[in-house]
Amino acid sequence: MNPWSGYALQDFIPFTADIYFRLLERMGEAFWPLQVLTMALGALAVVLALKDRGRLACLLIAPVWAFVGFAFFVQRYAELNWAGGYLGYVFYGQAILLLVTAAAGLGFDKASRRRPSTVLGAVIALAGLIGLPFMVTLTAGSWFQAEVFGIHPDPTAVVTLGLAMIILRGWVLGLIATIPAIWLLISALTLSVLEAPGAILVFTILAVGLFGLVWKSVERLSAG
Amino acid sequence: MNNGFTRRQCLKLLGGGLAASVMPSIRLLAANNDERLRKTFSGDQTLPVIGLGTWRTFNVGTDPQLLDDRADIVRAFFERGGGMIDSSPMYGSAPDVMGHALQQHGTPDSLFSAEKVWSPAGGSAEEQVTDLKSRWQVDRFDLVQVHNLTDWREHLAVLREMKAEGRVGHIGITTSHGRRHEAFEEIMASEDIDFVQLTYNITHREVEDRLLPLAEEKGIAVIANRPYDGGSLIRDLKDRDALLPDWAGAECGCSTWAEFLLKFIVSHPAVTCAIPATTQVAHLRENMRAGLKPMPSASTREKMVRYIESL
Repeated sequence: MNPWSGYALQDFIPFTADIYFRLLERMGEAFWPLQVLTMALGALAVVLALKDRGRLACLLIAPVWAFVGFAFFVQRYAELNWAGGYLGYVFYGQAILLLVTAAAGLGFDKASRRRPSTVLGAVIALAGLIGLPFMVTLTAGSWFQAEVFGIHPDPTAVVTLGLAMIILRGWVLGLIATIPAIWLLISALTLSVLEAPGAILVFTILAVGLFGLVWKSVERLSAG
Repeated sequence: MNNGFTRRQCLKLLGGGLAASVMPSIRLLAANNDERLRKTFSGDQTLPVIGLGTWRTFNVGTDPQLLDDRADIVRAFFERGGGMIDSSPMYGSAPDVMGHALQQHGTPDSLFSAEKVWSPAGGSAEEQVTDLKSRWQVDRFDLVQVHNLTDWREHLAVLREMKAEGRVGHIGITTSHGRRHEAFEEIMASEDIDFVQLTYNITHREVEDRLLPLAEEKGIAVIANRPYDGGSLIRDLKDRDALLPDWAGAECGCSTWAEFLLKFIVSHPAVTCAIPATTQVAHLRENMRAGLKPMPSASTREKMVRYIESL
């Protein structure tokens, strides 16, 4: 018999909401005031993306993925969930994909400000950079629980999804967007099992992001 | 004539006052010990009917604040005469957290340590038990169960040998959420096991039909998991602003929903204990009060079901 048969989603979330939020808080406490630097880095990446400097934007955010993979998943989340270590490797993989994409200059697109996909990408990136930290107000937690780009995985994935929509096209866009989208799905499912109010917000951002990816593909097909 | 108190009289008065203030609580504790329900298993051994589960609640990693919080839960559990604590290699760092708690507050004689072997954790059953003992920092587990029936034939064979050699106290199998009851029943009927762990609560009573009668017939002790259905039962009752029925206090000594739900479970003749999990000492206290007599009679149990169904 397959040992995993018969298990449900809640069996893969072996902690309570207070333990998960405390994990977010510990990340905030451990790295303060690094948040100021990572948020500035994220803002700079968005500006560079809008100025058609996509390769530089990719280079800037690649190490952030490796850092979150190690500090959040391998060092901390893996203590609570056996899958944490594997997720860390997935985040390292995304860092490598971003570096290779930047080095090879593959699949970059002009960031036309009149194009709806660029506007949507910028809105998503800013939601991750500025909006997600305020999600902490929904759980009435301390400000160290605020999820910040470059420290916590959700805003890191959201900002990357938005940036990818601005600067990339074709299969490279799909490739770079896959891991952020998968993590956001895992995160939204986790929050829903924990009955955390943020689940709807993450599901919504993911749905808007996926809509944006489809929109950009259609946009390019009709332009081509 | 000196009307004032001498130093000796002052000390006597102070001592008497202190004794008077402490006596009611001593009397209450003594009464609680008398009134705490214990059930017999394996012929002549007994367990308090309220145990402690650790699924999700004790998986706190190395967070010092949460480690101390959970150690406080364990201390409060033992202060109220608690016995069984149940964990699993599937529960992440919960076995390590138990080790931390036992190191902080000591290992009382009343501890009945219950662990599991679970194939996805890796290693043989024997290796897993050895690893878990070092994580709990105990010499021996009172009970080791095969978690969710994974590779149960292989694991039970090893556990049976370990029991024969005195390296584990008792052996058993577990399921939850009503899964694989047919296979569970077959194992109960055909294998020599001491304990089964299954989901039983006031809204999930399927096990009353076959598994609980079979356990009684075979003399297998029963641990009821998910007594609050993962917390949703209590939440639903609170969301509905549901009030306890008037008769709950008089007929079974219930003053909270926690007591009502737990007393329903542990008053079933086949159930040995329930293992509610919690992250708060206040909730632990409520849970432990459910182990005090009086317990609902068979007719009151029926009324309890009808009342919950009417809400």
